[in-house]
Amino acid sequence: MILVIAEQRDGVLNKASWEAIVASQQTGQPVQVAIAGVSLAPVAVELAAAEVESVLTVEHAALGAYTADGFVAAFAEVVDQVQPDLVFLPHTYQTREFAPKLAARLGRSLITDCIAVKQRDDRLAFVRPMFQGKFVADVAPTGPAPHFASFQIGAFRPDAVTQGASAAAIRAVDVTLDAGAIRQTVEPPFQEAKQAVDLTQAERIVAVGRGIKAQEHIALVQTLATALGAEVAASRPICDSGWLPMDRQVGSSGQTVSPKLYLALGISGAIQHLVGMKGSATIVAINKDAEAPIFEVADLGIVGDLFEVVPALISALAAD
Amino acid sequence: MDRETLDVDVLIVGGGPAGLSAALRLASRQHRDGGEPLAVAVLEKSRQSGSHMLSGAVLDTSGLDELLPDWKTRGAPVETPVRDDRVYFLTERSQLRIPNILVPTSLHNRGNYIISLNRFVRWLSEQAETEGIDIFTGFAGTEVLYEGTRVVGVRTGDRGIDKSGARKGTFEPGVDIKASVTIFADGVRGNLTKTLIQKLRLDGPLPQTYAIGIKELWEIPPDRMPTGRVMHTLGYPLRSEEFGGAFVYGLPEGRLAIGLVVGLDYRDPLFDPHMAFQRFKQHPLISAILAGGQMTRYGAKALPEGGWHTIPRCHVDGALIVGDAAGFMNSMRLKGIHLAMKSGMCAADTAFEAVRAGDVSASQLETFQQRVNAGSLRRELYRVRNAHQAFGAGLWAGVVHAGLIPLTRGWWPRGLLSSEAGHERIARLARYYRTERPDPDSTSHPVKIDRTVTFDKLTNVHYSGTRHDEDQPVHLLVQDTDVCRTRCREEYGNPCVRFCPANVYEMVPDGDDDGRRLQINASNCVHCKTCDIMDPYQIIDWVPPEGGGGPEYEGM
Repeated sequence: MILVIAEQRDGVLNKASWEAIVASQQTGQPVQVAIAGVSLAPVAVELAAAEVESVLTVEHAALGAYTADGFVAAFAEVVDQVQPDLVFLPHTYQTREFAPKLAARLGRSLITDCIAVKQRDDRLAFVRPMFQGKFVADVAPTGPAPHFASFQIGAFRPDAVTQGASAAAIRAVDVTLDAGAIRQTVEPPFQEAKQAVDLTQAERIVAVGRGIKAQEHIALVQTLATALGAEVAASRPICDSGWLPMDRQVGSSGQTVSPKLYLALGISGAIQHLVGMKGSATIVAINKDAEAPIFEVADLGIVGDLFEVVPALISALAAD
Repeated sequence: MDRETLDVDVLIVGGGPAGLSAALRLASRQHRDGGEPLAVAVLEKSRQSGSHMLSGAVLDTSGLDELLPDWKTRGAPVETPVRDDRVYFLTERSQLRIPNILVPTSLHNRGNYIISLNRFVRWLSEQAETEGIDIFTGFAGTEVLYEGTRVVGVRTGDRGIDKSGARKGTFEPGVDIKASVTIFADGVRGNLTKTLIQKLRLDGPLPQTYAIGIKELWEIPPDRMPTGRVMHTLGYPLRSEEFGGAFVYGLPEGRLAIGLVVGLDYRDPLFDPHMAFQRFKQHPLISAILAGGQMTRYGAKALPEGGWHTIPRCHVDGALIVGDAAGFMNSMRLKGIHLAMKSGMCAADTAFEAVRAGDVSASQLETFQQRVNAGSLRRELYRVRNAHQAFGAGLWAGVVHAGLIPLTRGWWPRGLLSSEAGHERIARLARYYRTERPDPDSTSHPVKIDRTVTFDKLTNVHYSGTRHDEDQPVHLLVQDTDVCRTRCREEYGNPCVRFCPANVYEMVPDGDDDGRRLQINASNCVHCKTCDIMDPYQIIDWVPPEGGGGPEYEGM
């Protein structure tokens, strides 16, 4: 049995959790999903829609705010109670902090940042990049079960999750936590930038590059984004010029995104940009230059002037 | 402001071959002479030793033999002996192999090794650390500390300053490192050596001249290029007015180093060294080797080519200058690593004795110059003292001069010695192109980029692995960007856009009419120093970015 540790914050599920569930479903083994926090009912119902054996809610007042000590103690107990063969986690910032500690606490092996699972001989092997992505290696865990594995965000598609015929059972798991043993105190969250956007969570992105020519044309892009229900992003020159804030930058010095739709307007497709968006499900590119490298990664391409194409798209969307 | 200070006996600025050879030599003098141990520190701007190191490179091991005679048993990454030497003269479509008997002996490479300077320097730093020498990686020297005209140390850069110059939460002031003797080994056009030479007027008899080397590593199908083959080419894609040549070195396991070196004293303001390198790769001789292969690394670095007459005075009160920073390079042999190492060792011996004698004045440190003059440094460099200047009179004058060195011992009529710095030789558009009116945004002899053999600069930059924290002040100081959009655009067509091999400088449209403004993409910088050298108005100042930023030349 595989135990997936899902992640939520203030009742909102981190969508990377679905990716870990997809990874577990692909192994063909039975799956249980655990989630920790307070007031978990709505999130649990959401998770129960997936084809899984059960959803385990781990509620405790001391788990209201995430702390590494609290989560390690709680999940150590959960793992002890349910005795899984494998524990899967999404490779989130939170996981990066507590999963190594949890695995060490239990004396079990942990394979991080995996991009695939495959059957190799009679056991599972985990595929993970090594040497800064230069190689991928098949890694098999050793030692007693359960083995822990975390999955790189974007390696699986959240919408590939198999839904159950009926909702899975939701079961509360009691843990005895000593709040005094939690050494961290949690301050209220704050954002360094005035409004940091997390483009990695966006389903659709309209990204704009140098082809936009002038700052006043950004409004046009914004209109299209609103019509599509998309976030606005940009390639480096746009953010460098200050036409959009730095937190909208996609690429090697910005964010890495994998939305369902990535619409690239006037972006030539420098490799620095491509590494940040090539994992998108559908890439649509509009560029005047038919030779632009963006067309090599695009699923759909329009060779044309974005100042003609974008207004046409906006009015077509308005007509729908 | 409260600054930490650190006191050492000898401070070495720059952890390249010169700096680390100095460090290792100090350690061995310590073993040999005994006595109170000297405190030695090395400052290195890259995060990891060797990350900013780039060279061809064919190593003459004479420096290494002298420094660490047991280098083979210590596992030095010096493993690919040169087995085959070839020199070609290229025209656009064909090549002529120059019989080895006609190749000047200076270009013979038997007994030398093809190395990765990155790995070699990383290994040197491991040897130095084993000897107990502290190497502070990720720290750049930003200021020379003086007492009067005596150098007393170096200040390292502040960390945690944001784009606008304000302090971030992570602010940490730089450290003052005080030393009895400071050895400047900050490389070609070192930012500290540059200020030191200006302040104390240390210039040599002739101005230094430089070249830029652009290099890629490739993985190629087997049997294209035997391991240990060294190819050098003259001619195409350069014209006789451009000094330089190209190299292709066969490495083990189907890898290959390829590069082009061009003098930074070319005349055509629309010349683009990176573009010339692309044209080189398209030559039938070369593209046949590269076809089906993959480019895996890219980098660029300037090199000091002026030779003996351009070396500044290297000893001042409290300091010495060594390696590429001083210009210890033999442009006729295309080699400088061994000279850098030897100059580092001379400096170490000098500094060691000066500290022990309690006299670090310029007159005591002058023994450095005596060591240089008495040893192989002068012997090697004096013969070719006029070579670069002869090539300044054109390719054929240079070839004839180089060929006659065994007879003339390097003599060249004094009247023909050019005292022009490279940035003074670049011609104005109107002068070079006369009645033509070329587009200032164009490049002479452009080629179409196919992204398999030829690449645009931005793609190449990705393969340099260069990284800088984005939220820091721009480290390329342009005194007056108005010059760029007005005078320079008119007079030279903004050559920085072309001579920068990393797409740092761009003239972007500004406003609705034809106006342009300079945009500096500082985080693309690969620390080659070309802009600081070649800018015709000399208004670009390269200063180190926050410690640790820069290229990652793994295997270069």
